[in-house]
Order: sequence, then structure tokens, then C-alpha cells
Amino acid sequence: MGHAYQAVGWNRQKKIYDRTLLLGVVLYLAVFLGVGFALHPEATAETMILRALGTAAFMLLHVVLAIGPLSRLDSRFLPLLYNRRHMGVTMFLLAFGHGAFSLLQFHGFGDVGPLVSLLVSNPRFDSLAQFPFQLLGALALFLLFLMAATSHDFWLTNLTAPVWKALHMLVYLAYGLIVMHVVLGVLQAETSPLLAGLLVLGMIVVLGLHLAAGWRERALDEPLDQLAREGFVDVGAFEEIPEACARVVTLGGDRVAVFRYGDRVSALSNACQHQNGPLGEGRIIDGFVTCPWHGYQYKPDCGASPEPFTERVPTFETRIVDGRVWVSPVAQAPGTYVEPARHPGRAR
Amino acid sequence: MSIEIANLIVNAGLVYAGLGLVFGLAFVWKGAGRLDPDAARGTWGFRLLILPGSAALWPLLLLRWVRSSGPPQETSPHRSPV
Repeated sequence: MGHAYQAVGWNRQKKIYDRTLLLGVVLYLAVFLGVGFALHPEATAETMILRALGTAAFMLLHVVLAIGPLSRLDSRFLPLLYNRRHMGVTMFLLAFGHGAFSLLQFHGFGDVGPLVSLLVSNPRFDSLAQFPFQLLGALALFLLFLMAATSHDFWLTNLTAPVWKALHMLVYLAYGLIVMHVVLGVLQAETSPLLAGLLVLGMIVVLGLHLAAGWRERALDEPLDQLAREGFVDVGAFEEIPEACARVVTLGGDRVAVFRYGDRVSALSNACQHQNGPLGEGRIIDGFVTCPWHGYQYKPDCGASPEPFTERVPTFETRIVDGRVWVSPVAQAPGTYVEPARHPGRAR
Repeated sequence: MSIEIANLIVNAGLVYAGLGLVFGLAFVWKGAGRLDPDAARGTWGFRLLILPGSAALWPLLLLRWVRSSGPPQETSPHRSPV
């Protein structure tokens, strides 16, 4: 954001978020171990801790995956998105604990090293019933490590947002590997229909939320370019855009956020410079377009962040004719001032 | 998989990780600031946080450090408009 990097840019919201997250994890582990030992007094402590950490990580992964689509479907979930990366790193640490305990318990005391033992101890790749499911978990853990290790904004800048996003999309591959890890491992030993049902329910929730959010996004990608008149595109009635909010349209193949504030209208790129967050789903707060993901701000008429920050997004020319808003699909250079269009009937 | 191949894979991984750790320490101390001016004034907590990623991605970062190139510029209609 144009200033020295810190480990964590703490603020009140992040502290509340992290405290709640930590409390939730500790409570879950305590309840799991308490109930687990009560139901299975014969189980060893190592086994119970291993299971507690594994199930905690798996459940948290579901939450991490659900937050994105939930936030797109209902803005009340946006606070969960705000510090999702801490939740992701917490999930990795739980998974790492699970993996380390497993490696120690099942491969730590043989004739060969634990990692070599992990690779060679079970060669039954041809058998579903005895498939070496631990390798799937290890591969997933490696992917989760890559994502946790690159979760700082430094990596976002130095890998670029598309590469960083692509890297972090590996979470879906990791999820698939973990599901297979659970199906081929745990569910072979634990034949309880409750566990199988919970696994299927989790998959349905994650998949269903993504499909629902994707369906809703599809409407935003309807091209309006064919309506072009004198180089401008009709994006709808002024009155249809809520005060201090935006309508998102696709112009020239890319999304543009058209903000209404008072009697004025300004159009900006919909992609926040931080993580390509959806600016058009944010609001104008204290005179600045504010990204709903992490609060990055831009002036609506020039797309520049307030000093001392240096982020800038492209802007677009706007017109208001007979109560309808028209936007030029030609992007101006990031930070270029564009006179806001004014609605004559709304002049103060 | 034979033990010989498994040993080879594990040893290769350990060598990569070992080199990465050595590189990572040098990178978070000096290299990061050369690539990204905002990192030059970064706190030690920040440097500690980027150490695992620096160790994991060391070939890419080494190449950038040797070339003394700054952060890559993203090119898309929303980053470098016509």
C-alpha cells in the first residue's frame, strides 16, 4: 500500500477476529478430546490429538472455502472475509500438527527415515481399500504450506495478483486431495454413517455455495457493448443505483463499477489494486470508494488512493442523459481525473 | 516405489529446502529490500513471516535478485489501460 511492510497490520477488527478464531479452535479441540476420550477410553492420547487436529483443520477448510461465495451472496458475511488469511494460516497450522503427529506415530520408529517410510510403506496404489491415503494428505499439506507461506501482501505484490490468485486457487485441489484422504483413510476404519453423511454434507455446502455465487455473478458478465451509442454505453437508470453504492457492468470484456453519490456518477475499474477485490460491491465511505474486502480506498472521480497510499485504478467517462447513465468503455490511465456526470434533476 | 528412489526424492527435497533456508535468511535480510522498496523498511516480524515463502520459492527470487528487477508489473485492462 505504499508503506513499510509489517508482520500484521493490526486493528481492532483483526484482533477481535483472531481472538474469536483462536477461542473457537481451542473450544473445538477441548470438546473433541473430552468427548473422544469419554466415548473411546481405549484410544491413545496420540491418536485422539491426531484426530482432533485433523478434523479441526478439515472443518476450518470448509469455513475458509464457504466464506468467499457467502460474502458474494450476502454482504453480512463480509466481516468473515476481512481476515480470512489468518483463518487459512490457522487451518494450515492445524493440518501441519495433524501431519507431524501422523508421521511420528506411523513412520517415526522404523528402520528408514519417516519421510522415506511415508513413500514406501504402502505400495497398494492398485487397491481402493488399501490405497496409501497418507500420501494424498501429505500432498495436500504441501499445497496448504505454499498458500500459508505466501499469504502476506509482500507476495501479492511480488508475484502479481493473477499469479498469487492462481497459486491460492490450489486450495480447491488441496480440498479434493483431503476429501480423498478422508474417504480412503478414515472412512475405511470408521464405518459410521454419521461421518460419511457429514463429509457429503460438507461437500454439498461448499459446491452449492460456489454454484449459487457463480450463477449470480453470471448476470454481471452480460455484455452491454452492443448498446454503444456515440462511444458510450447505457448502463441503466440513475435511480436504479443506490446512493453511495455502485452498479457493476461489463464493458469491453472487463467489469466497471459505476458509483452514484449525491447528484453525481463516476465509473472506476471494478478491480481493487490490492487483491482484485470487487470495488463495486463496496460503498462510498467518507467520500472514498471503499473495497469491501480489506478497506482499500479510492477517490471516485480519479481512482487514486488518499495520501500517503499510492494505489490507482483506471477511470471511465460518464454521462447522464434523460435519467440514464452512460459510460465510455475506454479506460483512462489509473488515477486520471474524470469530471463526474451530474443529474440535473438532483442538483443540490 | 523402491527405497532407492524414495531416498533420492527425500534427499533432493531436503537439499532444496536446506538451500532455500540459507537463501531465505539472506533474502529476508537484504534481498527483499532490493526487490521491493517497501520491504527495505519492513519490520523483523514481517521478515520472519516471509522466510518460509522465500525458502520455498528461492530459485525465482534468486533470479530476480541477480537481475535486480523490481516487483513485476501486472498487465491487464484494469492495470495498464489503453
